[in-house]
Amino acid sequence: MRGGENKLTLKSFKKLFESLYPQLCVFAYKYLNDLELSKDFVQEVFLKVWEDKITFQNDNHATGFFYKAVKNKCLNHLKSKKYKVTERYDLANIETYETEEFYMSEAVTIETTAVIEKAINKLPEKAAQVIRLSIEDYTNNEIANELSISVNTVKDHKKVAYRKLRDFLNFLTVK
Amino acid sequence: MDNSNKIKPLSEKLAASLIKNESPSDLKKSEIFDAEIESQILSNIKESTYSELLNDIDAKEDWKPLKRKIKKRSKKALRFWSYGVAASLVLLISLAFVFNKTDQDIEFGTPVIVNNNIETGTDKATLTLEDGSEVALEKGTPYQTANVTSNGEEIVYNKADKSKPNHYIAYNVLTIPRGGQFYILLSDGTKVWLNSESQLKYPVAFSTGETRQVELIYGEAYFDVSPSTEHEGAKFKVFHQSQEVEVLGTEFNIKAYKDETTISTTLVEGKVAVSTAHTNEVLEPNQQSNLDLKTNNISMAKVTDVYNIIAWKDGVFSFENKPLKEILKVLSRWYDMDVTIENTVEEEERFIGTFNKSNSLEDILIAITSTGFINTYEIKDKSLTIK
Repeated sequence: MRGGENKLTLKSFKKLFESLYPQLCVFAYKYLNDLELSKDFVQEVFLKVWEDKITFQNDNHATGFFYKAVKNKCLNHLKSKKYKVTERYDLANIETYETEEFYMSEAVTIETTAVIEKAINKLPEKAAQVIRLSIEDYTNNEIANELSISVNTVKDHKKVAYRKLRDFLNFLTVK
Repeated sequence: MDNSNKIKPLSEKLAASLIKNESPSDLKKSEIFDAEIESQILSNIKESTYSELLNDIDAKEDWKPLKRKIKKRSKKALRFWSYGVAASLVLLISLAFVFNKTDQDIEFGTPVIVNNNIETGTDKATLTLEDGSEVALEKGTPYQTANVTSNGEEIVYNKADKSKPNHYIAYNVLTIPRGGQFYILLSDGTKVWLNSESQLKYPVAFSTGETRQVELIYGEAYFDVSPSTEHEGAKFKVFHQSQEVEVLGTEFNIKAYKDETTISTTLVEGKVAVSTAHTNEVLEPNQQSNLDLKTNNISMAKVTDVYNIIAWKDGVFSFENKPLKEILKVLSRWYDMDVTIENTVEEEERFIGTFNKSNSLEDILIAITSTGFINTYEIKDKSLTIK
């Protein structure tokens, strides 16, 4: 967080917002169980980061910062007096929510899902379906059955998918 | 331990292996989760539990209201920057601000500054030799004897000459004033960082094979202890009037300020035992023992982010969820000033923030003021008053 080199421009801030906003909303939703409130909170965190001119060392740091800030904001809301008075306050739940385990497992689950969705959304429809099933551990035979296509067609779709995703996958693994 | 920064790289690797239908090994390698949680994470991802919800959220659409708010408030932000917080980052967010009061309007009062004599801390210390004579160590004043060298920013003791066993052990004392910090390399290779207002007593050389002993007389120190295996099994002990810490090669932080009623020992790596006359506790990494000097009881706590506790040695103050009162206490040691909080309502207000120790006090005060939780402040000579 040191150094003023990487000052955010409105353009780069928009990019950062678009790359993180959906998964942060889902992440907040896991704590709050209220999607509209989750969106408001995530937007407030972004607004605060912009106003405070917070700079980040790199993407990993930025992503980590936002997850942590959203988590803190949600926990604080759940612990606030107002919430305790108006909602049914489940003490057992908040204890789970406060663990590092809950935080990290939800964050990794949601972030990984977001990365996979981003990849799959680059694919033609059939190839996308094949890859989805393959991630669910379906074998080629099972995929063929499920989609009523031949095993060879499944293999072809996979080839197309990997070719299309080659750069994206390299980018993910090389870093 | 805070693993936030690992979320992105770990998720990317995991996504890549799942897409390629390779067995995902990175979750296990990360050692963050136990097996049960690991398989739960994997099955939630494979079953696309969150896919639908994710795809329903429209980032492009929700950017619009955010952009409007940013533009509306940018005038205020400019005003903030015109106060001169620039190159080195100062970040301080009031938790309450982030969490509850985001829509509140921020107004700055005008600070009153008379004769500002508050200076940013530097590397400095006083070395007291075995004969009681004192040497002032600071930048630009090198010091050297047969067994010790200092460039004014750190002090290094030469490795003991094993061929000449020492029966008489000479002790030196290093005193760090308010507004100072220092680094010392002991003759056994143990590294010690000393924070402002601290005092450490240690032998010039350690006797071979015998327990290595130093004393943190008061203040805060971070130890990176040279392992016992390199010293014929000799243990390392840090004494304090109220407790002792026994180590076998490890890294840890001890905070034992004169004006505080608790001694906190935080283990970063390895294993240590903290004991008092009455009790004994073994610390695992990321655990902290807190000795209450009034009751002599030790309570144990888990530290989620050790970095916040040891950042000071790397030139950074990192506060997470700390009351303003506590933050100002830390600042008072580094900037060598007296602090008065007139606005007692706000002294318990909690903040999260990070800043370089090289920042001037005023840079930090501007950040605190900008959170809207204090009205203004006054600096007079070496005193700071929060209004």
